[in-house]
Amino acid sequence: MSAAAHSVVEPSTTSKRVAATLVIVYAVVSMIPLFWIFATSFKTPPDSIAYPPKVVFTPSIEGYCNLFTTRTRQTAEYINSLPPATSFCDETTRKRNMVIAGPSNFLPRFLNSIVIAFGSTFLAVFLGTLAAYGFSRFKVPLADDLLFFILSTRFMPPIAVAIPIYLMYREIGLSDTALGMILLYTAVNVSLAVWLLKGFIDEIPREYEEAAMIDGYTRLQAFWRVVLPQATTGIAATAIFCLIFAWNEYAFAALLTSGTAQTAPPFIPTIIGEGGQDWPAVAAGTTIFLVPILVFTILLRKQLLRGITFGAVRK
Amino acid sequence: MQDLPAGKPVVTDTHPSLLDRTMEAAARATPEPLANTVRGLSDRMVAWLFIAPTILLLLAINIFPLIWAIQLSFTNYRANRPNEVVKNIGLQNYERILTDTDTWIAMQTTAHFVFWTILLQTLIGFTLAYLIDRKFRGHAFWTTIILVPMMLSPAVVGNFWRFLYEPQIGLFTYIVSFFTGIATTDILMLSNVKLAPWSIIIVDTWMWTPYVMLICLAGLRSIPDYIYEAAEVDRASNWRQFWSITLPMALPFIMLAVLFRGIENFKMFDMVNLLTGGGPGSTTEVASITLKREAFEKWRTGFSSAFAIILFVAVFGLANIYVKVLNRVKSR
Amino acid sequence: MSAVTTKKRRSAWPRILRRGLLENIATVVIGLGFLMLFQPFAITLYTWSFVTMLAGTVMFIVVSKFPE
Repeated sequence: MSAAAHSVVEPSTTSKRVAATLVIVYAVVSMIPLFWIFATSFKTPPDSIAYPPKVVFTPSIEGYCNLFTTRTRQTAEYINSLPPATSFCDETTRKRNMVIAGPSNFLPRFLNSIVIAFGSTFLAVFLGTLAAYGFSRFKVPLADDLLFFILSTRFMPPIAVAIPIYLMYREIGLSDTALGMILLYTAVNVSLAVWLLKGFIDEIPREYEEAAMIDGYTRLQAFWRVVLPQATTGIAATAIFCLIFAWNEYAFAALLTSGTAQTAPPFIPTIIGEGGQDWPAVAAGTTIFLVPILVFTILLRKQLLRGITFGAVRK
Repeated sequence: MQDLPAGKPVVTDTHPSLLDRTMEAAARATPEPLANTVRGLSDRMVAWLFIAPTILLLLAINIFPLIWAIQLSFTNYRANRPNEVVKNIGLQNYERILTDTDTWIAMQTTAHFVFWTILLQTLIGFTLAYLIDRKFRGHAFWTTIILVPMMLSPAVVGNFWRFLYEPQIGLFTYIVSFFTGIATTDILMLSNVKLAPWSIIIVDTWMWTPYVMLICLAGLRSIPDYIYEAAEVDRASNWRQFWSITLPMALPFIMLAVLFRGIENFKMFDMVNLLTGGGPGSTTEVASITLKREAFEKWRTGFSSAFAIILFVAVFGLANIYVKVLNRVKSR
Repeated sequence: MSAVTTKKRRSAWPRILRRGLLENIATVVIGLGFLMLFQPFAITLYTWSFVTMLAGTVMFIVVSKFPE
């Protein structure tokens, strides 16, 4: 390789250093809000609203206590008359002249998120795998139009869809039900699933199934025993993408659920304490809500590009 | 192929049904040794059985509601008064929306938001991609770190930004005041008429710059080294190389990112609803917020359906272009 | 679209109605519709933006069926 060409393929040390510095500065700055969420979740309410903002503080799990409980203010005499506090949360609450009145709605909302996200992901990946295989292996007439139709449903503005869905669910009794939300999220996710999985299945050589079918497998058996095992990575990546979407979704959840089927995203902003938003509790809820996504992002890092371009860009 | 009925074109519009065509085509697409198996009923059914559930679900959850919305858009229906007589008022809803100054202003607010987010995200995102493409040590690790914000929930994280924006106690205001010397109590990010739109633009840019960066990076990496080597032989300056090789060859990718962000931000709801809720006044009232207010607060269902259809047509137009660019990028 | 129909049509299909060119025109029409929707200068342009976008989109869908 000539010296000139070498300088292109391999940038100079100085330019690398400058690039590294700038990128690291950006990365660190963009992490500050996330760090702040994490830090705030371990602050006491007075620490969280201190001026100047406290970077060094004594950690406390009061935010997590407040996230999972509801509290009522009581007189000092009443609190003193109670048996000794049994838990850290009990004790902290009493120091603020309050007693724990019961569990908050966070846990049920969080469980709703889990049920709806996993339910819709399972359905979307199931339907998506079948359809992707159909589009990948058979020459379907109007395939391009059908694929475009499938993708275009993902671009619909959520509020525009929510209006008729609201009426429709009201008619058939799916308003504010987990099933209704699962169906809705499945419909949104199935477009991503079909496009992503079609890319993955296209990469599996047809010869494998053909060989299996010559050996006497039927088409379905070949699909089940040959294609699916080969597509596991793709299916897993697709599932994580669907899961993240359903987990993060806010617009439909905020407009179509209010009680029993409400998920965490519309719930977390409504966590209030005395005199306004209870920021440590909000931060605690946000932290718990974000941790699974962080884990999945790291698992997915090699597939991210594919996921955000509907499988079109692979490298 | 020879088994097909002679003299009959394989695909024409007069052909009996989509199902038959699917099966015929499925059989044709399969290599000769397998043709007989595929032509068996069970295998023909496979293609149809596999695709149909998805199409049916989308018809039920997306297309049927869409048709319903189109029908409602010609009426004065109100969802909170289901017993009232519904009158067909033709194109009046459309006429009202398209001649109304308030919705026009909502569109301009949306335009302002879309323009600045795309400009900032493309500039910062492309620069980052260009820097990461220098392949310094540890670039993979830092790329992953940078990508984190875009995977998070815009609603949940956007909600937390309200805390960062708090005038007295917020970290963002503190940092800004630290560097500019403006008193923290004067930095009213969410309630100042001039600053409120920017508070949303900042969060959106923070969140979605990684998205643009990732696609631009793919574009930069798709440029083969030998092109640069040839340019080097021709003694083209780095500046020229950038303008005549790097940028044009990465352009379809940049377009892809810009179109997708454009569509997403055109229908942006989560962040605006949580950060400002459209206020102060209606300074940050983007189209989605107007639509939500009309549909779920004023309950003017017919009117808002018409507005939804207008937004949908706009998005659908962009989606067509997006898929065109997507196919171009795919063939690279 | 099958190869058979494409081949058959290509011979008779006028050059001016090729897909690439018309698709670009439709793209421009959609873009124009957006500019009309977003501009702050004349409400008349805003009023007609929807029709323009609709026309551009319909045109795009129709011409994408034309042969290359």
